[in-house]
Amino acid sequence: MLSMLVLCKLQGSKMEMPLWLAKGLYEKKRRVLSVELPKVYRGGWRTVFGADPTVVDLHKMGPYYYGLGSQMLHFDSPENPEIAQIVLQTFIGRFRRTMDSSQNAYNEDTSALVERLDCLERSLFKAGQSGLNGFQQWEKGRSSHLTASSLVINYRKRKITDLQA
Amino acid sequence: MDAAEVEFLAEKEIVEIIPNFSLDKIYLIGGDLGPFNPGLPVEVPVWLALNLKQRHKCRIIPPEWMDTEKLEEIREQERKLDTFTPIPSPYYMELTKLLLNHAADNIPKADDIRTLVKDIWDTRMAKLRLSADSFISQQEAHAQLDNLTLMEINTTRSFLLNSLNYMYKLRKNLQPTRTHDY
Repeated sequence: MLSMLVLCKLQGSKMEMPLWLAKGLYEKKRRVLSVELPKVYRGGWRTVFGADPTVVDLHKMGPYYYGLGSQMLHFDSPENPEIAQIVLQTFIGRFRRTMDSSQNAYNEDTSALVERLDCLERSLFKAGQSGLNGFQQWEKGRSSHLTASSLVINYRKRKITDLQA
Repeated sequence: MDAAEVEFLAEKEIVEIIPNFSLDKIYLIGGDLGPFNPGLPVEVPVWLALNLKQRHKCRIIPPEWMDTEKLEEIREQERKLDTFTPIPSPYYMELTKLLLNHAADNIPKADDIRTLVKDIWDTRMAKLRLSADSFISQQEAHAQLDNLTLMEINTTRSFLLNSLNYMYKLRKNLQPTRTHDY
């Protein structure tokens, strides 16, 4: 607690702190702190997203683009409506590609496809893949196939089939 | 829902068989079945038909839609229209797989039928994705798709529902009130 009080004395200086702390300390009326918008949400980048959202490497731009964007609105910046709009439009623009790649890549290495997606899109990709894999497994007749758990195989215990041989 | 669960539901569909044994009418909880007389066709659910077939006690008659000409017509129809055509059975995918795996000898041109059904499935899934994309990009509140089967819905369910949930949260941000935790 003492170190926290020391931090508070540093008025007017720039510092980094986690989002949860900034959210907790932020107060509209008393103006305890003002938050600087990360560059991905500022005017220049917003134009890029508006032009073509599919080309951007969202993982590099901060793996939580959508989540952080939604949280930044908490800090009452005058650009809030534009930020909210661009985050939504980016999601809509990239939706098709995420859907197509997740539903068409069966049994391949998906790391190249997932590379440029942010975390929210990755979880969607996983959901799409699980739907696809479930269907394909069923079609091959493997959904009722009993397989030994990998843990059991690794125990290296003596198996009855080996003893009888 | 698993694909296996959808298949389980599909096994309730009725199919015709020709038994080679005789048995009086049997009274099951789900309904009455029989009586079974050798050489006479009788209607039974698919689960029973498959079981009897595996024990070599019957011959399965393919449903009337499981015929290359009919399926070709349906495939052409599906490719022409933008909407989903009504298909003869709400469980076409499951029945095709089950009957062709266990009773291929009773079904003429089994391989062609498999290919045709796969083509129909691929076309319908592509249409489903297209309509999901236009649903999202136009930010509609609701959509109506007729003639979809449970298996198709089941394959896209988790992806579509999650995307719509995320989109709803992002859309709530547009409102000028205080945003809640994401």
